[in-house]
Amino acid sequence: MAWETVIGIETHVQLSTKTKLFSRASTEFGKSPNTNVNLIDCGLPGVLPSVNKEAFYKAIRFGLAVGAQINQMSIFDRKNYFYADLPKGYQITQMDVPIVLGGTIDIETDKGIKTINITRAHLEEDAGKSIHDQFDGYSAIDLNRAGTPLLEIVSEPEISNAKEAVAYMKAMHQLVTYLDVSDGNMSQGSLRCDANVSVRKIGDPELGTRTEIKNINSFRFVEKAINFEVKRQIKQLENGEVVTQETRLYDSVKDETRPMRSKEFANDYRYFPEPDLLPVVISDKEMQDIKDNFPELAEEKEKRYTKDFGLSEYDAQILASSKIMADFFEQSTKETKNYALLANWLIGEIGAFLNKDAIEINQSKLTPSNLAMLINRIDDQTISGKIGKSIFEEMYASGASPDKIIESQGLQQISDDGEIEKIINSVIQENPDQVTAYLAGKDKLFGFFVGQVMKLTQGKANPQTVNTILKERLKE
Amino acid sequence: MDQETVRTICYLARLQIDEDKAQKIENDLETIIEMIGGLQAFNTENIQPLYSPLEKTAFMHEDIENSDNQKEKFLQNAAVSNEDYFLVPRVVE
Amino acid sequence: MSIQFKTIRELREMLDKKAISSEELTNETHKLAENLKDLNCFVTMNKDASIEKSKIIDQADKADSVLSGIPLAQKDLFCTEGLRTTCSSKILSNFIPPYTATAVKKLESAGSITIGKTNMDEFAMGSSNETSYFGNVHNPWKKGYVPGGSSGGSAAAVAAGIVPAATGTDTGGSIRQPAAHCGITGIKPTYGRVSRWGMIAFASSLDQAGPLARSAEDCAILLNEMSGHDSKDTTSLDIECTDLLDTINQPIKGLKIGIVKEFDLGDLDSEVQNRFEDSKKLYETLGAEFIEISLPNISASVPTYYSIAPAECSSNLSRFDGVRFGHRAENTEDLNDLYIKSRSEGFGDEVKRRILIGTYALSAGYYDAYYKKAQQVRRLIKNDFESAFKSVDLMMTPTSPGTAFAFGSKGAQNPIELYLEDLFTISSNLAGLPAISIPHGKVNSLPAGLQLIGNFLREDQILNAAHIFQKNSEFHLDKPSMEEF
Repeated sequence: MAWETVIGIETHVQLSTKTKLFSRASTEFGKSPNTNVNLIDCGLPGVLPSVNKEAFYKAIRFGLAVGAQINQMSIFDRKNYFYADLPKGYQITQMDVPIVLGGTIDIETDKGIKTINITRAHLEEDAGKSIHDQFDGYSAIDLNRAGTPLLEIVSEPEISNAKEAVAYMKAMHQLVTYLDVSDGNMSQGSLRCDANVSVRKIGDPELGTRTEIKNINSFRFVEKAINFEVKRQIKQLENGEVVTQETRLYDSVKDETRPMRSKEFANDYRYFPEPDLLPVVISDKEMQDIKDNFPELAEEKEKRYTKDFGLSEYDAQILASSKIMADFFEQSTKETKNYALLANWLIGEIGAFLNKDAIEINQSKLTPSNLAMLINRIDDQTISGKIGKSIFEEMYASGASPDKIIESQGLQQISDDGEIEKIINSVIQENPDQVTAYLAGKDKLFGFFVGQVMKLTQGKANPQTVNTILKERLKE
Repeated sequence: MDQETVRTICYLARLQIDEDKAQKIENDLETIIEMIGGLQAFNTENIQPLYSPLEKTAFMHEDIENSDNQKEKFLQNAAVSNEDYFLVPRVVE
Repeated sequence: MSIQFKTIRELREMLDKKAISSEELTNETHKLAENLKDLNCFVTMNKDASIEKSKIIDQADKADSVLSGIPLAQKDLFCTEGLRTTCSSKILSNFIPPYTATAVKKLESAGSITIGKTNMDEFAMGSSNETSYFGNVHNPWKKGYVPGGSSGGSAAAVAAGIVPAATGTDTGGSIRQPAAHCGITGIKPTYGRVSRWGMIAFASSLDQAGPLARSAEDCAILLNEMSGHDSKDTTSLDIECTDLLDTINQPIKGLKIGIVKEFDLGDLDSEVQNRFEDSKKLYETLGAEFIEISLPNISASVPTYYSIAPAECSSNLSRFDGVRFGHRAENTEDLNDLYIKSRSEGFGDEVKRRILIGTYALSAGYYDAYYKKAQQVRRLIKNDFESAFKSVDLMMTPTSPGTAFAFGSKGAQNPIELYLEDLFTISSNLAGLPAISIPHGKVNSLPAGLQLIGNFLREDQILNAAHIFQKNSEFHLDKPSMEEF
């Protein structure tokens, strides 16, 4: 029996505004519990919401980037339900007239580019956080996150498998970080998604019953959760059972989805327009300002990197694929002109280290200035590329500047011909057998002599100089 | 208004009515709903709802922080809390 | 010397002439409140802080504003920092707000002294002050009779002469109707004139704060201070607020006053009709002209209001869940149990009724027929007013169909009986228009009120018309004997 999967994704993007959607409290991550909370976020009696315009500007940037229709007049509604981390007993969201309508996102699949249609995107406030397992018998409520602006982006059910879902989320991540709409940090909860999954027999025009998997917060889990759920649904249907429409959570420890308890009773959210806020109207001038100040997207950056920095298309594409990496690269180019070497380091050595630790470059101890300095020192031959690698390891671990490391460890490359000649002479003198063997034709021994020189100079001898002088001396 | 509807409405509002008052409240609700049902007699074809008496749009504020940390005051007002969190009976997801 | 029944102007004179100090005045006020505590018009007194403030005021050479040192009572719906705010509900019986409502802050910044928080109908839901967790308020004119509601405590405190003025809130008539039943003056401003920040919300698109006092002039003094744009309230109007006293003495010759055709006064008590006719005559002698106007959809007011207000309140009151403040039930099994028990224990019956109606009106399948329909009819009502105001300057009605009544005598069997108290007042809340109630005589020895409804932002006009009436009559000078208290 051939089955096909139908997936729709709702992405919740936390906007990178400094303050919340309806209050002037900070949105800074990682603060101690209940400190980024003001009267409004706490839902105290008598308080009123007030709209953060920057949240709208970011939402509009997103809408423009995906080619959507922008509703210059949009309305907030109340979604009423009770939960411990929802202080007012209702969430302020946009139901009937959202800020963004339509749009598309292209994803790369193994069959080429696929266009996914977006149904809509709207602004709403995030809820607080509940911690269920820290205090015996209690759930603890932290309202720091309550009121943070979210852009909820709803895709049409056009995604066909887990891999496409991951590609979609990755494309979303790149887009929102590029647009400076969100920091896209999934581990911190800045980007999360709900996946609506259903299956049907190929050729069946009817959609199968769908389940919603909520709050998936990593690309890996997106793939695993969807794969598990698809298998589960197919198994049920093949057994003659019926798929229940329900909300489920992905358990990453057990690698399975299970029904969510609090959503057992169907909720009637009783949406109605928020009477404490009036319709929001974005003026034509504000729209023009947003368009005029539109940030450069990935494709443009790639082109610019090949043109202005002479990078290969491949290198340019890799650097431009992450805004964080691209920003770091560009900052570094302010202090070094060897763009090719810089790109090489970022893509190769540095990329490997970052991957191992699963962090972004702006979460490491490296700075653009220090990296530029390292590139310059290799470029001007103060150090060899090989020494450069060990200096880099130190930089990565301690954040120290290359100059400081070179200084404190005396790592300057020895390039002085005289000095190198002296050392080469002593190596030749102390290894007469190898010299004889080499001159008799064992060319491979050249490497041995180089090795000895490097040993005596703790790797600091300039390799080119060593090669040149060694060849000469050995001839004699 | 049937029992089922009353039960659902009560649950949505997280309210429970004492047994001895239940009948009276149900009767009251029916009376009031009948009264507001009288609106059906008014012709509202093509009339836009008036959600606020003001025909104006929202004033929006700048994205600048302007907030005091009043954590102690907020936690003090709660019936059950510790020095960091509001506490409720443990929720099982 | 007695401070009871004095107006703001009279107290200002006494203070300026140093006939009494602010501290003495504050102490005397507290004594009066104590002596008259049977009225039950206060929930919480602000004794220490008010005396402290009065001492500071006495230290200044002269007063820098007309309200400096004047004692006021604040309705217990306004958050007052550090001073218990209950909305006359068990669910907030221990709530100490960490901030003060803008309207109150403005009055306090103008030098007024907050004597205490007044009793009210629970969460402002009611027309008789019989739903308070802290017990009924008595009408100073007759013990055992209601003062009206929901601002019953404020009205009684002013009528009994304890304070010259008080704040109230009006969602369907809750300033005007108690003002009428207690023989004093009360004004509901245009929606958006006074900030709602710190005013605990009942029905967001209808609530407005306003003053109750012994005269239109005193109301104008308070409203001047309370008005103004507040960036913390998105629904507050960004307008130039002129001094409402500037034009209050203007002669009203040629003023066009509308009589609403659809309000058939023939159904009312004959004495109520007589008072109305007498007032009409007085206005005519003062130069006003009466024109019959039509508000064709006005009979929809009560059902419209009772669809919208409960709907908005059902949502506004969701935050009272026992988690972050207010009453929390003990021995609860889980979160839902916590919500259900805390709310059911904390709210009174009228509040529960309204929350349930509101939840119903918003629920799936009923939203279009009730809530949305009501908001559409609301527009019809507003449009009617707009049309009518093309031919008149203001409109006149009795404030209430009747006068104060005995505790428990209305609404016990049928809640709609009490809802009809608001028959004449509700429509101005729906349309967002300003309206004032002034005393205009007695009906069966109890005060009756006359209502003037003004056009959008024309408080100046209704205050002017009210003031001229009061300059040419003495109803507002009447005082209850207070023998029973």
